[in-house]
Amino acid sequence: MRIVITEDSVLLLDGLTRLLAAEGHTVTGHRTADELVAALSRPDVGLPDLLVTDVRMPPSHTDEGLRAALHLRSLHPELPVLVLSQYVEQRYAAELFARGARGLGYVLKDRVADVDAFLDAVDRVAAGGTVIDPEVVSQVIARSRRSDLDQLTRREREVLALMAEGRSNTAIADRLVVGMPAVEKHVTSILTKLGLPPDADDNRRVLAVLRWLDENGARP
Amino acid sequence: MTSTDAPGRRVDAAPALTSRAGLLRAPVDPATGRAVAQLAVGTVWLASAGVVVWVLVVVSSALVPALGLGLLALGVTLSAARWFAALERARLAAQTGVVVPGPRPAAAGLPRSWASLRARLRDGRAWAAAGYAFVAMPVSAAFLAAVVGLVAGAIAFVVVMARGGIGALGGEAGLAWPVALVGGALGAALLLWLGAAVAQAGTTLVLWLAQACLGPSAADLARERARDAEHAATAARERAVVLSETRSQAVAAADAERRRIERDLHDGAQQRLVALGVELGVARRLAERDPAASAAALEHAHDEVKATLAELRDLVRGIHPAVLSDRGLDAALSALAARSPVPVRVESSPDVSRAGSAAQAAAYFVVAEALTNVAKHAAADTVRVRADVTDDGARLRVVVEDDGRGGAEPSPGSGLAGLRGRVAALDGAFALDSPPGAGTRLTVEVPCAS
Repeated sequence: MRIVITEDSVLLLDGLTRLLAAEGHTVTGHRTADELVAALSRPDVGLPDLLVTDVRMPPSHTDEGLRAALHLRSLHPELPVLVLSQYVEQRYAAELFARGARGLGYVLKDRVADVDAFLDAVDRVAAGGTVIDPEVVSQVIARSRRSDLDQLTRREREVLALMAEGRSNTAIADRLVVGMPAVEKHVTSILTKLGLPPDADDNRRVLAVLRWLDENGARP
Repeated sequence: MTSTDAPGRRVDAAPALTSRAGLLRAPVDPATGRAVAQLAVGTVWLASAGVVVWVLVVVSSALVPALGLGLLALGVTLSAARWFAALERARLAAQTGVVVPGPRPAAAGLPRSWASLRARLRDGRAWAAAGYAFVAMPVSAAFLAAVVGLVAGAIAFVVVMARGGIGALGGEAGLAWPVALVGGALGAALLLWLGAAVAQAGTTLVLWLAQACLGPSAADLARERARDAEHAATAARERAVVLSETRSQAVAAADAERRRIERDLHDGAQQRLVALGVELGVARRLAERDPAASAAALEHAHDEVKATLAELRDLVRGIHPAVLSDRGLDAALSALAARSPVPVRVESSPDVSRAGSAAQAAAYFVVAEALTNVAKHAAADTVRVRADVTDDGARLRVVVEDDGRGGAEPSPGSGLAGLRGRVAALDGAFALDSPPGAGTRLTVEVPCAS
């Protein structure tokens, strides 16, 4: 597939380009957010199948990459975007997922070094899935009020974390080495206990879970 | 000026009364000679001028009932008492070396109005001077008489003893000659020693009287002390402001430093390690499919590791150079010079190693930043770095001089400004002399104790 990468570090841009090219993807690289927006605005070039962008970009080295991603998503809601962040910032995640989670990913930049997981995230987001870094999830869960999560068993909490990361039931079953029926039972139990609507769509389920965690995470 | 200085003066005038060594040395001490001379001159001077003052006071006081004529005379007399006091202070200063400070000056010349006359009559310091004229003369005379008596006694004692001893030698009834010799010497020494002590005591008493009567009034002294205290308080307040400023500069400098390190780690080492991970991932995934590409990725990764190590080394050196803690400033400066692209001559005196670690670190970073700036901006041919300790041993000084284009200034946020904050936090001095076209000279001094 056609992938556009925005990354200001030449080294990393180079490495990622070669990694994805070796996997058979066509890769275009950009070094600044402005360059990216300009490139994707050209009418003669169609949208890529996936956009991978760093949050921190020149000139101010704060969140130009995220701004550009949000801007492009508002123009093209169907454009899959995988955002790489130097550090986990829940506010960035909240802004990013505010308008839906389809084909959207937010992972720590360091995860890129885990090439298999990165390629998995690339595939999942390009296919319209949601990928949220486990660190974001654990932060959100850590901030949640204890009493609400106390209703869940330890196993259910593990399942909840994986749901929040955007895993499908199949992936959760694989990860926890249990059967599908067991995962489905856990998921139904969690959704019931937290008062969330049972929903088959993984992406909408992620949002519901994250929103629930976030709302209940607001400390008095 | 203040009474706190007074004990120091008395030590000069009468060492016999304040120290054991002075007591033992009393008869041959120069202070004794000065004291005797002072008593002699003082007695004569007070017996003439002092008595004139006193007679004038008595006469004009007696004239007061006569139509107030005496009041006018008394006013003039009190002015004369002040002149007398000034002369007496000058005499004491010349003869004893003790400077009694004068009181607040009073109006001079003839009183021209009732108010001015009234002020003249109420001049407490002039009355005190008149009192001194009355008291100091008998005191001086009595002490002088005592000293003369004791010295004369010593001579007489020696003579009597000698005659007794000589008589005994001649066969007449008298003292055995060894007794006469030893007794005469001991007795004379005792009397002379006593005379010396009395002379010094008399001078001390006169000086004490002069301080009390011829110096500033107690109220003036108190006012002066209050003013001194206020000056000290103002100085302390100013110091507090400076300290709080330099403290916030130090905090800001430390903060900027932490931000720089964070940025360096994030944008440097961390990025490189991520890229390294990607590179290794590529190598692993391609190992079977495309061994050549895999090997290329590994080679890439290897280069990456070396570059990361070099970068970390630089970063660590920027935080605190190991050579500075291990070998001291001299070695660290040589290391800096060796890395500089512009030739650097380092002159470092051996005593710089005695300075505290914070002082040495500040000096090191000053030189490091200065050399970086020289390499970047100065277009210089040579640089000279000098490090030494100031003559009083209190401050570590580094001077960095180049022959480049000059015109450097520590703009806010620059490395130089950060260094200035660091130096100020140590209570140091920072001077940058960089006229356009004439080279740059940076001088920094920090207290060794820091």
